[in-house]
Amino acid sequence: MTKSEKANSPCGFTSKLHLDKHISRRFNEELEQVRTLVMKMGELVEQQVNDGLSAVLNADATLAEQVIARDKKVNSMELEIDEYCTQILARRQPAASDLRLIVSVIKSITDIERMGDEAVKFGKNAIKLAQGNFAEEEGARPLVELKHLGKHVSETLNTALIAYAQMDVDAAYNIIENDNIIDEEFDNISRLLVTKMMENPREIKNALRVTWCARALERIGDHTTNLCEYIVYLVEGKDVRHGNAK
Amino acid sequence: MNTIDIKQSEPSQVEFNPTELTQTVGNIYADNAKMAIRNVDVFYGNKAHGDKQAIHNVSLDIAKNQVTALIGPSGCGKSTFLRCLNRMNDTIENCRVTGQLMLDGEDIYAKKLDPVLLRARVGMVFQKPNPFPKSIYDNVAYGARIHGLTNNKVELDEIVERSLQKAGLFNEVKDRLKDPGTGLSGGQQQRLCIARTIAVSPEVILMDEPASALDPIATAIIEELIDELKEKYTIAIVTHSMQQAARVSQHTAYFHMGKLVEMGKTEDIFTRPSHKLTENYITGRFG
Amino acid sequence: MTNSIENSTVRSVENSMLNKQVTPASSLSTTDRVTINLKKRHQKEKRFKSLGLFAVLFGFMLVVILIADITSKALPAFHQHWVKLDVNYQSDWLNVDVSSTQAALAKQMKTASYRKVLKNSVYQMFSTVSNKKLSRKEKRQLIKLFSTNAEFTLKEILIADPSFIDKSVNVWVRLDDDVDSYLKEGFAVGDAGLRISQQQAQWLAQLSTEQRIESRFNVSFFTASDSREPELAGIKGALMGTLLTLFVTLLLSFPLGVAGALYLEEFAPKNRITDLIEININNLAAVPSIVFGLLGLAVIINLFGLPRSAPLVGGIVLTLMTLPTIIIASRAAIKAVPPSLREAALGLGASKMQVTFSHVLPQAMPGIITGAIIGIAQALGETAPLLMIGMVAFIVDVPTSIVDSATVLPVQIFLWADSPERAFLAKTSAAILVLLTLLLVINVTATVLRAKFEKK
Repeated sequence: MTKSEKANSPCGFTSKLHLDKHISRRFNEELEQVRTLVMKMGELVEQQVNDGLSAVLNADATLAEQVIARDKKVNSMELEIDEYCTQILARRQPAASDLRLIVSVIKSITDIERMGDEAVKFGKNAIKLAQGNFAEEEGARPLVELKHLGKHVSETLNTALIAYAQMDVDAAYNIIENDNIIDEEFDNISRLLVTKMMENPREIKNALRVTWCARALERIGDHTTNLCEYIVYLVEGKDVRHGNAK
Repeated sequence: MNTIDIKQSEPSQVEFNPTELTQTVGNIYADNAKMAIRNVDVFYGNKAHGDKQAIHNVSLDIAKNQVTALIGPSGCGKSTFLRCLNRMNDTIENCRVTGQLMLDGEDIYAKKLDPVLLRARVGMVFQKPNPFPKSIYDNVAYGARIHGLTNNKVELDEIVERSLQKAGLFNEVKDRLKDPGTGLSGGQQQRLCIARTIAVSPEVILMDEPASALDPIATAIIEELIDELKEKYTIAIVTHSMQQAARVSQHTAYFHMGKLVEMGKTEDIFTRPSHKLTENYITGRFG
Repeated sequence: MTNSIENSTVRSVENSMLNKQVTPASSLSTTDRVTINLKKRHQKEKRFKSLGLFAVLFGFMLVVILIADITSKALPAFHQHWVKLDVNYQSDWLNVDVSSTQAALAKQMKTASYRKVLKNSVYQMFSTVSNKKLSRKEKRQLIKLFSTNAEFTLKEILIADPSFIDKSVNVWVRLDDDVDSYLKEGFAVGDAGLRISQQQAQWLAQLSTEQRIESRFNVSFFTASDSREPELAGIKGALMGTLLTLFVTLLLSFPLGVAGALYLEEFAPKNRITDLIEININNLAAVPSIVFGLLGLAVIINLFGLPRSAPLVGGIVLTLMTLPTIIIASRAAIKAVPPSLREAALGLGASKMQVTFSHVLPQAMPGIITGAIIGIAQALGETAPLLMIGMVAFIVDVPTSIVDSATVLPVQIFLWADSPERAFLAKTSAAILVLLTLLLVINVTATVLRAKFEKK
């Protein structure tokens, strides 16, 4: 988006949303609280993703167990934030940007919770892989690719969460546009692993597990893209999901 | 792990001076406009003692068979503007209206147009229910009588019954039509005033905060009534309650200090308003 | 206020120190502080209430005393003493020819000398009793006992029944006002100011023992008009005059006043000229009424040549006087009509006239009527301007139209109050009572009218 387009867009005179400055101080606090909770959930899930990935790459069963256990917290946070938002809707009848905030938060936490579930998949696969003594040399290339993809996805997630905190629409648009890179990388890994499976039928089980991990990463990428679409909706009021015109 | 620091919102200043507002944002024109208002100014006071300008260069359309809501803070001129549409401002001393106001393409301030005729086509319902101190029947029949719409009693009875039916009041009062209108409850009185207005078969109904003096149930009944009435009439409503505007209208116009800041479809105004002032008013910021 | 709290606190501290208790000032709660002053406030209220009650009772008592005084003075006017005489309609006293025809006889009876009949009949009555001839002086005194219209009573009786000629009939005639007063008040003979001589008193005592004297309700007070003789004087003329004048006043001032008020409030543009008119109307209400009388004399009678003393002229003068009152009261009533009513009617497309006559006027009617009543009541009691236009003359005939000469009740009262005869005192008070009753009737009518409008 060019600068002039930005100026003519809704709330074009400024992109800051002033999520405070309501006459009702309590309302300000409630909205701040919602944002804080969402950010906390995001941080938690980010950690889950990183830990899960690490567990897979290092065949660390203990770490994997931790990741699986912590998912409970992620789920309970989703419930908590959902309930909080419902109450705000009931009591405040928010309008305009406040309304968009609540709606986007409700949608975001679904995606964040799903990311948490994907992280759990890492954990489960990591345990299986650790049991199977999947040596790094044997599965060197796919694991390297996985590591590479994992780093990309993790960075993307981090950028998205920062953009969410700062309501940075440009960063969000960036991530949306670059979603296809993750898909391409996933296709690469898939192909590699298929080759590996064809070469070494003994390693099919493990290769499949690695495939599933890659798939989980791809899904995490999709969810991250969704988060960015919600950022755009929140700030600009435009619904850019499903490739809607930008 | 990266901790994300949440950007604290800075204390903001008002981005710009509202008096510099020069252009209305949004969509002020309607495809099928019943009333078209262009470049209207309203002044109070006379040239000798200094004019006070209440409305600054407002232009908008009132769409046919739809409800247009006028919202804005106290003293922003929305009631004054509404009263221009049926020339009720003529009754106020030292009030001057300039600009073009058209009903179906006719200028309503033309010298040859009788305000009495205009008010038969553009009816008004006021904030505080004000039934005449006459019977319910006479209240509703009054308009029809003074305009000579009918000569015989049978037709008049019909008009009264129909109007009361449309206003959703008939079943409650059908066996006490001779009772005084002032003996009804607040919500019923307001519905009586609405029945009285539609008995004249106007084309446009103007409502100046019709439900502000009523309890929630009576308000809900009136809002439902407005929704049904728009099938036959064009309605413009001034309201202090944004939720009411959101529930009841298809188009919303936001006024601020005598200027039209933004106008558009109600859904758009309430989910993604274009102008900062509108946003602030709707979300309850800065007063 | 705070001082007294501090003082009372200090005092309470001192007191409690004596009792070896300490109540620090800060521990006084709102309840305590209010309680301290509560008694004083209630006392103030009580005092004010009793003062108000006292004022009302005082005013009421004054009114009661006034009415009682007037009524007691007026009571004697409502009954009169009549005396039964043996009248001998001797034809030679009457100076009629019994042998003439019916028609001729009738004519003769009209001009017969009834005074002679009266005198001779009376002399006969008293000479037979005392059995000696009456002296000239005694005869005069005797005749003075009876009212001057006694002979006309005799005439009426005979014309009603001509067969009484040459017969002796019992006729009731009125007594003179001095006798009437003497009988009513029962002074002892010889009291200063008494106009009855010893002899007359004796005769009266005699008549009384013979059961010939009777006290009757004084119908002629209401049926007769003014007369020099108190026993014959009545208020009919003045009453009719008042009614006619009030009729003219009401007819002229009410429509003009209401129309004027409507114009000023609803239709007049708000400019200097309207302000000027307003100021002038308000000032007119304070002009002394006699000025209007002078105006009536100079302009209406001299310039326009309307008849003097007529209720028409009186009505016009009183209209000028009442108009400002009605206009001011009507304006206030019209102003009090809530603007929401006007707006509702305008919003429906009513024209200005329709708004005014269908809504504003009916709503303001109770107030307008009140104003009209105040004005009419004022007009009812006005004397000075009517004196100026000549309604002070001694009018005997009852006026039948608004251009006949007439007088009004207040003027009649004024005239009677001036008269020396004792009987006129009672009559004055009675006339005042009639005036007050008239006022009461007007007020009651207005209240009923007002209630009717308010109910609508």
